[in-house]
Amino acid sequence: MTDYGHDLIFGSFVTPVSTPVQRPVELSVVSERAGLDVVSFQDHPYMPALQDTWTLLSYVAARTERIRFTGNVLNLPLRPPAVLARAAAGLDQLSGGRFEMGIGAGGFWDAIGAMGGQRLDPGDSVLALEEGIQIMRGLWDTSQPGGFSFDGEFYQVPNAKRGPAPAHAIPVRVGSYKPRMLRLTGRVGDGWLPTLKYLPEGITSLAWMNEHIDEGALAVGRKPTDVTRYLNIDGRFSQAAGGLFDGPPQQWAEQIADVALAYGISGFLLMSDDPADLELFGREVAPLTRELVAAERD
Amino acid sequence: MNALRDRGNYAHRLEFGVRAAAGDEYDAERSVRQAVLAEELGYDVVALADRPDTTGIDALTALGWIAARTSKIKLRADVLTPRDPALLARTIASLDHLSGGRAALVLGTAAGAGAAGEAVDVIRALWNTSRTGTVRYSGHFYRLSGAQPGSPAHQVPITVLGDDDRAAADLAGRKGDGWTASYPAELSLGDAAVVIDRAAELAGRDAREVRRELLIRGGLGVREGIFTGSPAEWVSDLLPLVVDHGVSGIVLDLTEVDADGKDLLTRFAQEVVPALKAGVDKVLPDGWQGRAVRSRAALARRAPGVDYDDVPADVAEVLEPGDPRYRRYRGGYLRGGTPGIVLRAETDDQVVEALAYARRHPHLPLARRSGGHGISGRSTNAGGIVIDVSGMNTIEVIDEATRRVRIGPGARWMDVAAALLPYGWALSSGDYGGVGVGGLATAGGIGYLSRAHGLTIDHLVGVRMVLADGSIVEANEVENPDLFWAVRGAGANFGIVTSFEFVVDVVGDVGYAELTHDASDTAGFLVDWGSVVEDAPRALTSFLVVSPARRGQPSYAQSRTMVDSGDPETVLAHLQPLADIAPLLAQQAQILPYAAVMANAADQDPRSAGEPVSRSGLLAHITPEFADAAARVLRGDAVYFFQIRSVGGAVSDVDPDATAYSNRAANFSVVAMGRDDASLDEAWAQLSPYFDGQYLSFDSSLRPGRLEDTWSPSTLARLRDLKAKYDPDIVFDDNFAVLPTTTEKDN
Ligand SMILES: Cc1cc2nc3c(=O)[nH]c(=O)nc-3n(C[C@H](O)[C@H](O)[C@H](O)COP(=O)(O)OP(=O)(O)OC[C@H]3O[C@@H](n4cnc5c(N)ncnc54)[C@H](O)[C@@H]3O)c2cc1C
Repeated sequence: MTDYGHDLIFGSFVTPVSTPVQRPVELSVVSERAGLDVVSFQDHPYMPALQDTWTLLSYVAARTERIRFTGNVLNLPLRPPAVLARAAAGLDQLSGGRFEMGIGAGGFWDAIGAMGGQRLDPGDSVLALEEGIQIMRGLWDTSQPGGFSFDGEFYQVPNAKRGPAPAHAIPVRVGSYKPRMLRLTGRVGDGWLPTLKYLPEGITSLAWMNEHIDEGALAVGRKPTDVTRYLNIDGRFSQAAGGLFDGPPQQWAEQIADVALAYGISGFLLMSDDPADLELFGREVAPLTRELVAAERD
Repeated sequence: MNALRDRGNYAHRLEFGVRAAAGDEYDAERSVRQAVLAEELGYDVVALADRPDTTGIDALTALGWIAARTSKIKLRADVLTPRDPALLARTIASLDHLSGGRAALVLGTAAGAGAAGEAVDVIRALWNTSRTGTVRYSGHFYRLSGAQPGSPAHQVPITVLGDDDRAAADLAGRKGDGWTASYPAELSLGDAAVVIDRAAELAGRDAREVRRELLIRGGLGVREGIFTGSPAEWVSDLLPLVVDHGVSGIVLDLTEVDADGKDLLTRFAQEVVPALKAGVDKVLPDGWQGRAVRSRAALARRAPGVDYDDVPADVAEVLEPGDPRYRRYRGGYLRGGTPGIVLRAETDDQVVEALAYARRHPHLPLARRSGGHGISGRSTNAGGIVIDVSGMNTIEVIDEATRRVRIGPGARWMDVAAALLPYGWALSSGDYGGVGVGGLATAGGIGYLSRAHGLTIDHLVGVRMVLADGSIVEANEVENPDLFWAVRGAGANFGIVTSFEFVVDVVGDVGYAELTHDASDTAGFLVDWGSVVEDAPRALTSFLVVSPARRGQPSYAQSRTMVDSGDPETVLAHLQPLADIAPLLAQQAQILPYAAVMANAADQDPRSAGEPVSRSGLLAHITPEFADAAARVLRGDAVYFFQIRSVGGAVSDVDPDATAYSNRAANFSVVAMGRDDASLDEAWAQLSPYFDGQYLSFDSSLRPGRLEDTWSPSTLARLRDLKAKYDPDIVFDDNFAVLPTTTEKDN
C-alpha cells in the first residue's frame, strides 16, 4: 500500500484504426478538448487494420496544441532504437516538448517475425529493451562531449553524432508485466505503463508488481518515486453503480482515487473510442478524482 | 532525340517540387515552414531526405506533421539510407491515408541496387491487397513470412534515386515508377535514358512508365553557370532537359540553402515555372500537362469492343481495367463488376460527353453509378461502360428561409445528414449512411422518418438531368412536369440526374432505440410489432430485422426505431409499447441528432465481389397469416436477412398518382436476402400472396412481372409513354427498365 505522491494525470487510449483514418485524430482532439493530459495509441505495425502509430503520432501532434502524446506502447523490435530516438527528439521539438516515450519489448513474435523482425525469447527481449533505452538516452544526451557509441548484444551504434536533443526530458515509460521486466522498469524507466486487463490477478497485482519496480530502482540507487506509474483502464459509464469502473462518474472517481492512494498509480488512461466517454472522463472524473486524492493526501 | 519527341517526350505532366531542409544544421521547423510555403506557392511536391545517420529532423516524422498542416501538396520521403522496407511500407501507407492520398516514395540505392530492388518488391507486395492471403517474400536481403498486406489510399509511386549509378537507372527501368537524379551529374541524361529505356523494354514495360526527375541546386542573381542568373536563363537551362530529355519533374534542392530559401522558392515558382511551362507548351504536342500513360500491363487488360482511343478528353477521370483506381469504381457495396471502362463525370457537360461516348457503343451495356449501393440498380456490368457521378457530391443550401437544398447525386446520405445538422434540418432517406443520393432519390427513399415526413422523393422539388439524347433539362412542377413526375419513383428510366433540389424538414434531436427482443414466438412477435407500429404516432418509424433460431440460440428480433422528438418523455412514451412486446434481451435508447444515427458507414469505398439476391414486398398489415408464413420462411435456410420497415403515415398521404411511386397505402416494406435466386424465389412464393406490390430499390430480380408489381397499371402505362418520349432507344436499362409504348412487351 503505497502512494508515491505524484500529481495525477488523466489520458485516453485510442484505437489507431486505419478506417476511418481520421477517427483517431478526431478522438485526440476530443481528448484535448476534454482537458485530458495525454492521448496514447497502441502500436502493432504488423496489423494493417491499425495505422502506423508513429505517423499518426506525428500527425496528431500537429493537430493538437496542448495535450501530450505517447505510444502505448511502441514496439521496439520493429522500431530500431537509434532511428526511434532521433525521430522522437524531432517530434518533441516540433510539438514543443509534448512527446512521451511509451515503449515495450514486443509480444506477438510470429507477427513480428512475419514482418522480417527478429524473434527474441522473453529473456532476450528484456535485455534488448534495456539496450534500446540506453541508446535512446545516449543519443538524446547532447550535454556529453563527443559521439555516442554502443556495443550491445542486440544493438550496435558505432560512434554516432549525438542529438538532436529533445525539447524536454522525454520520459521513458515501459509497458511491463513480468518480474524481470518490472525490475528493468525500476532500473531504467521514468514510468510504468501497464494495462489493467492484462494484470495477472487484476488490480491487486499492482501491489507485488510495484514491489518489483521498487526493487529494481533501489538496486541502482534510484528512489521508487523516480518511477511514475500509469494504468490503462477500461470500463463503462452507466447510471447505476456497478463493479470496478462500471458506474456513474462519481463512482469512477472514487475507485480511481482508491487505486491511486492504495497502489500509487498516478496516471489513468481510459481505453475508449467513444467521444462521450472521453468527455466524461476529462471533464467530470478527472477533477472529482483530483479533489478526492488531494483531500486524502492533506 | 527524334524518337523521344515522337513519343511526345514521354508525355508526363511537368511537376515542380522542393526538397526541404534537413540534416544537422537545421531546426526542426524549417522543413515545415518550407513545405507550407511550397504549398502556398503551388509546388506539386515537397520532398524530405530521410537520413537517420544525421541529427536533422526525421523525414517520416516531419512528413506526418506536414500532412496535418497542408492539404494539397504531395509528400515525398526520399529514403536515402536503407530502412526496413516492411515498416516503411506501413509508414508510407499510413501517411498516404492520413494525407488523403498525397504520399510518394523515393528509394536510394546506398545498399546496392539489389537491396533496393528487393525493397521495391517487398513494399509493393505489402501494399497489394487485391490478392487474398498473407505475403511471403524470400530475398537475399529481406524476408517476409506471412505478413498482412495493407494498401495505401492511392497508388503511391516508387521512384529510384539514380544519380551516377547505372545499376540504379536499370532498376528504375525495370521496377520504378520513376527515376530521379541530381543534375548535373557524371552519368549524362542521354546515357541514363538509354539504360532506363532498355531495362524497361526488357521488362516488358513501356519506357514511358518511368518518369524522369531531376534534383537541382542554384540561385537567382549573377550568372555563374547552370541554374544561376535570371529567371530567363534558368528557363533556357531547363527547357532542353524537358523537351529533349523527357524530364518531367524538377525538384529544387533547398537542403544547403541558407535560411529558409524563401526568396529562391518564391521567385522560382513565380518567374521560372510559368515561363518554363509556356516554353514547353510551345514545343511539345501534349504541352506541360502531358497525357496519362498506361503501362503495358494495364493495356493488356483492356476489354474488347471499347473504343479506348475515342475516350472523351474532358471527363474528370477515365478508368480502365488495368488502372489502379479502377478497383474503387468497378463495383459497389453489394455487387462486383468488370466494366471495360469507367468514365467519371463531375459536371453536366462531362456527363453529356460520357453519355455520347456510351451511345457510340450501342452493343455494350451501360450502367450509371452514384453511391454504388444499388440492389435493383445495376451500377456496374461486365465489359461495358459505367458513367460514374460519385464526384458530383456537393450539398448546398440555396435558400435558408424555404429550406431548399441542392444536392449532387454522388453525395452519400450520411454526408447530407451532417451538412443539414447545423441548420436543424434533416431529409429522411434510409437506414444506411453510405447509400448514395442518385439511386435512392430517383426511386423512393424509405427512411427512419418516413412515417413522420414521407419518402425522400416527396421532398424533391426539381432535378437537372441529362437525357438520352444528350440534352440537359430541368424538371419540376413547371418545366417538364411529366418528367418530374416520372423521376420521383422511376427516375432511372429517364436519364442521369446531375442535381437534386429538395425542401427538407425541420428536425431537431431525435430519439433512437435499438431493442433486441426474444422472438421465440416469431409469428406472434411479428403480429404484435406490426400492430404496435401501426398504432404508434407518426413520429415513430421502426425497422425490424428478425433472425431465426440457430445453433441453440432462440430467434430474436432487432428493431431500430426513431422517434421524431428530442423530448425524453415523449420518446420513452412512444417506445414503451414496443419494448413491452416481448422479453428484452438488450436495449439501448438515446436522444441524438439525426445525423449521428446516419453516421454509420465506414468511409471506405465499398468493394464487393458478389451479386445481391434480394426480394421486396409491400404489405398493408402484418396479419397472423402473413406472420405464420414469415416464421416458416425464417425457419428454412433460404433467407439470411429478413427485414420489415414501417412505412405508411406521411407516405400514404400523397396521392398514388402524384408521383411514379405507386404503392403508397402499404404500412410495411418487407425485404429478404438469400443466397441464390431459386431458393429465395421458392421461399418468397410463400409470402407473395400477402403483398400489394413492391419497392423496386430492394428487389434484385429480373423476373417478368416485376414492373407490374412496382407500378400500378396507369402509372406503368404513363411511364411507357414517357419512355417513348424521352428514351425511345432504351439507353437506360440498368434498373427496372420499362419498354417504350410502341414496343410489344416490357422486358
Ligand atoms: C446497405 C443498403 C441500405 C439501404 N437502405 C435503404 C433504405 O433504408 N431506404 C431505401 O429507400 N433504400 C435503401 N437502400 C437501397 C438504395 O436506395 C438503392 O440501392 C439505391 O439505388 C442506391 O443508390 P446509389 O446511388 O448508392 O446506387 P448506385 O449503385 O450508384 O446506383 C444504382 C442505380 O440507381 C440508378 N442511378 C444512380 N445514379 C443515378 C442518377 N444520377 N440518375 C439516374 N439514375 C441513377 C441507376 O439505375 C443505378 O444503376 C439500401 C441499399 C443498401 C445497399
